[in-house]
Amino acid sequence: MEAAPAEPIARLREELRVLERAYSPGHHGLWSARRRAELFDAALAESFEAADTPARVALAALGGYGRMQQLPCSDVDLVIVHDGRRPDDVAVLTERLLYPLWDEGFEVGHAVRTPEECERIAGERLDVLTSMLDLRLIAGDPSLAADAAARARAVATADVQAFARTMRDDAGERAQRFGVAAHRLEPDLKNGAGGLRDIETVRWITTAGGGALVRTTERESLDAAEEFLTRVRSALHLETGKRADRLPLELQPAVARAMGFADEPRLIAEDGLMRAVFEHARSVRWIAGNVLSRAAEEASMPSTPPAAFEGIDDALEALATVAEAGDRSGAALLDSVEVTPMPESFEWGDRTRDAFLRVVRSGSAGVAALDALDRLGLLAQLLPAWAGVRCRPQRDPYHRFTVDTHLTSALVEMHGLLTGVDDDEMVEWARSQHTDRDALLLGALLHDIGKTGEGSHVAAGTRIAAESLGRMRVLAPTRELAAFMVAEHLLLPDTATRRDLTDENLMLDVAARVGSPQRLAALTLLAIADATATGPAASTPWRMTLVRELVTRVRRVYDQGHMGAQLAQRLTTTIDRVRELLDAEPDAAVERFVLRMPRGYFLSIEPERIAGHYPTIAPDVASTEVRASTKPGTKTGTYELLVVAPDRPGLLSWIAGAVAVSGLTILSAQVFTTDDGVAVDLFEVEGVFDVDVGEARWREFRGVLRKAVDGRSSLDHRVAERRARYPAPHSDAPVTVAVDNEASDYSTVIEVGAPDRVGLLYDITSALAELTLDVHLAKVATYADRVIDAFYVRDSLGRKVTDAGQVAEIESTVRARLR
Amino acid sequence: MKLVTAIVKPHRVDEIKEALRDLGVNGLTMTDVEGFGRQRGHTEVYRGAEYQVDFVPKVKLEVLVPDGEVQGAVDAIVKAARTGKIGDGKLWVTEAEQVIRIRTGEMGPDAV
Repeated sequence: MEAAPAEPIARLREELRVLERAYSPGHHGLWSARRRAELFDAALAESFEAADTPARVALAALGGYGRMQQLPCSDVDLVIVHDGRRPDDVAVLTERLLYPLWDEGFEVGHAVRTPEECERIAGERLDVLTSMLDLRLIAGDPSLAADAAARARAVATADVQAFARTMRDDAGERAQRFGVAAHRLEPDLKNGAGGLRDIETVRWITTAGGGALVRTTERESLDAAEEFLTRVRSALHLETGKRADRLPLELQPAVARAMGFADEPRLIAEDGLMRAVFEHARSVRWIAGNVLSRAAEEASMPSTPPAAFEGIDDALEALATVAEAGDRSGAALLDSVEVTPMPESFEWGDRTRDAFLRVVRSGSAGVAALDALDRLGLLAQLLPAWAGVRCRPQRDPYHRFTVDTHLTSALVEMHGLLTGVDDDEMVEWARSQHTDRDALLLGALLHDIGKTGEGSHVAAGTRIAAESLGRMRVLAPTRELAAFMVAEHLLLPDTATRRDLTDENLMLDVAARVGSPQRLAALTLLAIADATATGPAASTPWRMTLVRELVTRVRRVYDQGHMGAQLAQRLTTTIDRVRELLDAEPDAAVERFVLRMPRGYFLSIEPERIAGHYPTIAPDVASTEVRASTKPGTKTGTYELLVVAPDRPGLLSWIAGAVAVSGLTILSAQVFTTDDGVAVDLFEVEGVFDVDVGEARWREFRGVLRKAVDGRSSLDHRVAERRARYPAPHSDAPVTVAVDNEASDYSTVIEVGAPDRVGLLYDITSALAELTLDVHLAKVATYADRVIDAFYVRDSLGRKVTDAGQVAEIESTVRARLR
Repeated sequence: MKLVTAIVKPHRVDEIKEALRDLGVNGLTMTDVEGFGRQRGHTEVYRGAEYQVDFVPKVKLEVLVPDGEVQGAVDAIVKAARTGKIGDGKLWVTEAEQVIRIRTGEMGPDAV
């Protein structure tokens, strides 16, 4: 074998390097691609001539190279066309042409075919057919190359409509496989829907079916997009040194810089780049779709110009009717919408609103109509806020799409949740809570409308959504619910994944903040729709389990009547008033107090009394400390006794015992536990004999309690002693003990009814302590001679007591103590 | 070198991260996991509709630390992860035979 003619190819390498350096990496567009193809042509022609070529052979370029669009790292696609008579000589030629290319490290795609083989394979494989539609002679026998090209073209033109349908199917498959370049945050510039392949598709179709399929404005948009996307893709090749089509997030800053994008207010450089990519890709996707429809259906442009609608309302109504039928608007309708005059400043009327809502209620067909409005520039005119989120990239590990596409995807998901038949109990429940579906759909459509590149998107979104909903003139309840959804759309997912769901206060706060089961249902549906629309990373079973648990717990809060609209209102009012009353105290300490105290405390005690408790409760409590304060009670002769100490099993019994031993009787008691495990026990007491209880008595009480807490004295004996001094209660009032595990999600509730007697509370609570139960909350009330007490208890691990044996033991132990 | 692995409640992660950062631990891997321990799963009952949570959502943390700093890291994680309630999780320490920083090829403590 002769020495391969390596010089032209080695020279080509150097020439390509010079070309690469001639422009900055962001400025290699179509001109550079053409220049690159010319350099390949020259080198390959020289190689071909030097290779001792047999007659009746041609070397031709295919695909992008055939179109004179050779990008920096693209494959070099070649076909050697021969007449089939001297296969051995053709084999030698092929080797002589290809080895130097391989040696220089070029990626070469090659085929060796006769014109007949070209025709056959083009008929079998779409990719071969389309690459051959761009076949261009480099060197050798022109008639053979022309024959091969003509045969390939004949395959496409034989049935243009069928060819268009095949191309349309192919576009659909590409969109499935490579995603949509028009809104994927990491778009495939070549194969994604709206990418360069779509531009080529339009060219192939018009080659086969005639230029009349594309309007002049469409052609101009495609040319601009082709130049821009070619530059981006070339920059990506130069940046990575590889043939790459997908523009990943991490390379976007470098490509943006290379292309001269700079940071602007509310738009960083790489977002500016991506916004431009998405804009171009959207117009490509839109035009390619229209051209393929025309070619598949009519094979030519309609000859009559489109008729304009009278006004935008008529146009919207026409789009809504098509969307309601579940269809996509045809090219003729869209042409008519496009030429409909739009007033400079547009005000929504009732017809606008009704038609828009019909679109919004139509699921994915409705979103197709919104897309059409967007392409025609009408959506941002109807809803100026939309301009802020259009084509806007988002940079986090969860999102896959631009903000506007995420919003319309969330709308589709919400529509699916509302119209679907779902076996999921939570979804069914949430759906059953609502008749105002418009609010849910609008909430989904607008939930991220505040992502405009500055500040917190929730705060901005709340403001923008209120303004947009007002503009739309939707009914007040709909507007309020949708705006609420926008304002609180992160509440459930954030709380579920970041907060302690076993924290009862937290559940009550969430219930209060949400306000009602209906609103909880709206946020639940939005959380699901949002997560599903965001992507698989946001809707993992892990996250959804946590959201589900949160929703279930908050539903229980409403269901058990522990929180509702009125209670929520009262809670807010009380806490606000407490803040006012404690104005002189340091803010941080007051906030900590508000956060630590159980919600039941704020709901059952008046603000003024709470403010009075603050000095006793607020300071940190040491582990062995017991703090007590007293003041005159609501009625003459009664006193309020407040005891604060780290919670532990037995504490309540020691306090109750110390009260009894000190000659006091308990009229009522409320026992709370703070978030950080401090018992706040509040008693209404009076003296057993004497109305006036002096400081000496309180000192005695503190001393007894101190000793009991320290374990220095047992109270059993002293309480019994006290009891002996007073008459026994008359015994016909029954003792009742009931254990309830339904009333609370967090505690087992023990209800005890018994005739009043000295030390009764001590007896009950010391029985509970014996069972190592911790009293988390208690309400004690005396009605004449009968006492009704409710104790919310948890075991030593903080759990409810659900074991039947333990429940029975509680009942029998408490009963035994009260005998 | 030791590998400290901890399974913790999701809402404790930020605290743990802070605690480790205060110790000068710079690298941490976290994974969303589901499983059960003594806590088992639990059943949520709501108006007759019942669903079983067989696996409880947790977060798995993995931290590589030099031998001398293991106890500090372990204490910090345990302290930050503890709520005192059931389901606070588990932690274990294993020997890491080799640690290599891929970019530079550095090995052992230098690679952490």
